[in-house]
Amino acid sequence: MNAPVDRVVVYGGGVAAPMAALAIARAFGRLGTRVSWIDTGEVPSPHTALVGLPDLASFHRLLGIGDAALVDGASAALNMGQQFVGWSGGEGAFLHAYGDAGSAFASLPFVQHWTRARQAGLRVALEDFSLAAAAAREGRTGEARDPATRQAVKHGWHLDAAGYATLLRAACGSAGVAILPGTDAQPHMVDGRLDRIELVDGTTVTADLFIDAHGALIALLDPQGMALGASPCDRLIRGSAAPLDPPPLYSRVTVHPAGWVTVVPLGDRLAAEIAYDSRYLSDAEARTVLAQVAGRPVETGEAKAIHAATRRRSWVANCVAVGRAAGDMPLLDGAELLLLQLAVAQLVLLWPIDCAAMPEADIYNEELGGSRARVADFAAQHFRLNGRTGEPFWDAARALPVSPELAAKLDLFAARGMFAHCNHEAHVEDSWALCMAGHGVVPRGFDPQALLVEEQALMVEFQRQLRAIAAEVRGMETHAQALARIRSGGR
Amino acid sequence: MMAGPLELVIVGGGTAGWMCAAACAAKLVPAGVRVRLVESEEIGTVGVGEATLPQMKDFNDFIGLDEVEFMQATQASFKLGIEFVNWGREGHRYIHPFGTYGRPIGEADFFSYWIRGRRAGIATRLDDYCFPIVTAWQNRFMLPNGDANDVRNAFAYAYHLDAFLYARYLRRWAEARGIERIEGRIVEVERDGESGAIAAVKLVSGERVAGDLFVDCSGFRSLLLGSTLGVELEDWAHWLPCDSAQAVPCARSDDFTPYTRSTRRKAGWQWRIPLQHRTGNGYVYSSAHISDDEAAATLLANLDGEALAEPRVLRFKAGKRRLAWARNCIGMGLSGGFLEPLESTSIYLVQMAIMHMLTLLPAKAGIDPALPAEFNRVMDVEYDRIRDFLILHYLANAADAPLWEHVTAMDVPDTLAGKIDRFRHRGHVQAYRDGLFGPPSWQAVFVGQGMEPQAADRLADALPAELLRQRLDALAATIAHGAASAPTHAEFVARHCPAPPL
Repeated sequence: MNAPVDRVVVYGGGVAAPMAALAIARAFGRLGTRVSWIDTGEVPSPHTALVGLPDLASFHRLLGIGDAALVDGASAALNMGQQFVGWSGGEGAFLHAYGDAGSAFASLPFVQHWTRARQAGLRVALEDFSLAAAAAREGRTGEARDPATRQAVKHGWHLDAAGYATLLRAACGSAGVAILPGTDAQPHMVDGRLDRIELVDGTTVTADLFIDAHGALIALLDPQGMALGASPCDRLIRGSAAPLDPPPLYSRVTVHPAGWVTVVPLGDRLAAEIAYDSRYLSDAEARTVLAQVAGRPVETGEAKAIHAATRRRSWVANCVAVGRAAGDMPLLDGAELLLLQLAVAQLVLLWPIDCAAMPEADIYNEELGGSRARVADFAAQHFRLNGRTGEPFWDAARALPVSPELAAKLDLFAARGMFAHCNHEAHVEDSWALCMAGHGVVPRGFDPQALLVEEQALMVEFQRQLRAIAAEVRGMETHAQALARIRSGGR
Repeated sequence: MMAGPLELVIVGGGTAGWMCAAACAAKLVPAGVRVRLVESEEIGTVGVGEATLPQMKDFNDFIGLDEVEFMQATQASFKLGIEFVNWGREGHRYIHPFGTYGRPIGEADFFSYWIRGRRAGIATRLDDYCFPIVTAWQNRFMLPNGDANDVRNAFAYAYHLDAFLYARYLRRWAEARGIERIEGRIVEVERDGESGAIAAVKLVSGERVAGDLFVDCSGFRSLLLGSTLGVELEDWAHWLPCDSAQAVPCARSDDFTPYTRSTRRKAGWQWRIPLQHRTGNGYVYSSAHISDDEAAATLLANLDGEALAEPRVLRFKAGKRRLAWARNCIGMGLSGGFLEPLESTSIYLVQMAIMHMLTLLPAKAGIDPALPAEFNRVMDVEYDRIRDFLILHYLANAADAPLWEHVTAMDVPDTLAGKIDRFRHRGHVQAYRDGLFGPPSWQAVFVGQGMEPQAADRLADALPAELLRQRLDALAATIAHGAASAPTHAEFVARHCPAPPL
């Protein structure tokens, strides 16, 4: 007979702990599961902004987090994509927008027709056929109104991490999560399982399942479980600047000779961070570069070391590590929040049915390991495809090893504009196409079935799509209008 | 051969060859590719009564065949799934349907609610919540009714057809659309000295047929891929020990089922495929566990109509070529690999190879290595998934004869190990985006062969028990009512697509 998981302890702070506690309490609290959050006191580092991808919106429904609360409590701004500046060498830029890369037609993905036309001399970039990209560039947001446009436009959020954590904490309170102060708490292990956590006031907290957002619990169970990876950078400085007016609908990642600068527009400020290699850039120089790239004075925090270590197994015995506790995450493409969301959502899906034996751990580690690898692939493509030859940092970044799955994706796209779909994909096909094409890859060949469309008809279709995009963008609302509407509770 | 159109040569004109030729006629010939098919009337094809998967309708639609005309030309009938008789244990039967179980009745998936209901004694057998199964067992059939909210739309269908007639039909169709057919037996395969690629095939007449890309549809001989290029077969006989089959048609009986039947027997299993003009039958067996004579006797003793021919023996080995695409040669059908027809996957695998070939077709100038790499990657995934699913059928059985003692105790591939424990523990089945087989298929076989989960997703516990009972009962009633409204399979076929007598 199975003994259900009755008591759950979430251990840690930041965004990960309250997010996990909230998700679990909302899903299983009504079945009698009691959730305690031992708050170890970590708060998101000052200046931190989070890049939330479109799937975050559906996850927020599970969490019961409304859009208006995000705008009010987490300085949220709409996120329609991420712009990459200078990655190909020079000042060129492309936008990875969250939406379709052109409308499919004649039963083929748009990229196939685009490749054919490029080879015949077309100069228009792939992203120019993306409604989401065109709208974001023009500062407009919304969905296509004419069904004939046949293009999805999606948005996620840019969030102030500290405000988001506060908001999640408040929601935990109303979802029945017991919040216990837990600085300097002491975990104890018995027979390879976590047994209890002793708090400084002498209280002992036991649980059937422990969620570790801190790192100390999983390290106790699996001290050798870390796998070291390669990170192009070793230092990070975060800062804040005055907001841009109007605030862009996308973040921007600009290269410098020894790393990159990410600026994320929020409701009340511009979050900026610089990742760099300390062999080429001092902390002081990095602060200067950060302000230069941001184009305005930036108030900065401490420089931090960054690593690329991940846990081979994030679920060990009766303990599941989420967020940073499961490993470092790529600094691009919203990977941090995406992986946290996947880790929590997968835990809810695979909620153990027996508190003694948890074979769910193996399934979970397979699923999360796969997702983590695919998310890492997405970030790694930027380094592999960078065109900044002759700069030691970027030459080394290009030479970093890639997974066989990423190698297959890059090879196939370069050869044929097609997508090598693997298990656990976290980004959609068109996101990959927009990035690979944005980095300058024009496929060498295309599906011969593209030739079944007459050249003249192809040109007519291209013009139709470009006109439709322009017309749709004109009818969309501005970022400010959208935020005001959301704030007033409108859909 | 640098100038001019890409030259594609299909070697062999069985089901695989003509399916490939027809797809080329529809999609490549108009795009400027020259496509020729070499076959010899001296060489017979393996075509038997063939059961298919719902994807075949996509293929026919893709190349532009008319469904009614196709069914009339191939003596086809409809298929809602496969009935497995004596699998798991003697006397038991279940259907692996082309459809899902239940429909959403809460925030967990239906199968989790069924597990919970089953354990609480308020759910009947899984089959009762599946429209195509309930309909199939009444020998009824209807097309999906197009209403997304209706259980009578929650299924797909496939066909039973005469594969020989299908190849003949496709030949007429393809030749009318620009495929050049060359008659003649191949006596020599000529290779390019430098690259080792296939340069041409020479016919007994002396004619030389050169090409840029060769599609090997030569059947078990694997003339180009196996014999010429030396691509080895990855042998899976240790997991799938059946190595022989005998096939025999019999007269059509009154039992005109909209499903294929697979009956487990002492040394293998017997298929039954109802066509309009006759019924196809066969016994797939392990020659180590039964003699050909005894297999033939068993087969003939278990027909539901008069035998219309002598049983024909086929030999095979389970496995796939290590590369489905090597140099300038793509193997399709039996030349690329063989998996016993327990789950009707043969034509599906040909179809997948064709679809991937079309999108990955190389240019005249040469073969970009990324193209065969992708082709082989995706075909490996297809083969491996089907292999594991077939092995599952063998594992979960009473060990009631030497073959069954062997297969129920064997080691399984890593990709299958663990799946069974996970299913028993909580009904877990991994889902993937495309390809065979989805969660309902695994649920059907696991449960059908006696492996019921011990618990379900806890999210299913949130629904009050009384409400769960009501919803399960209402769903079963809706399905029973919907099934009863369908005409019989025989009536439907007679009205919709009656084939002329041969």
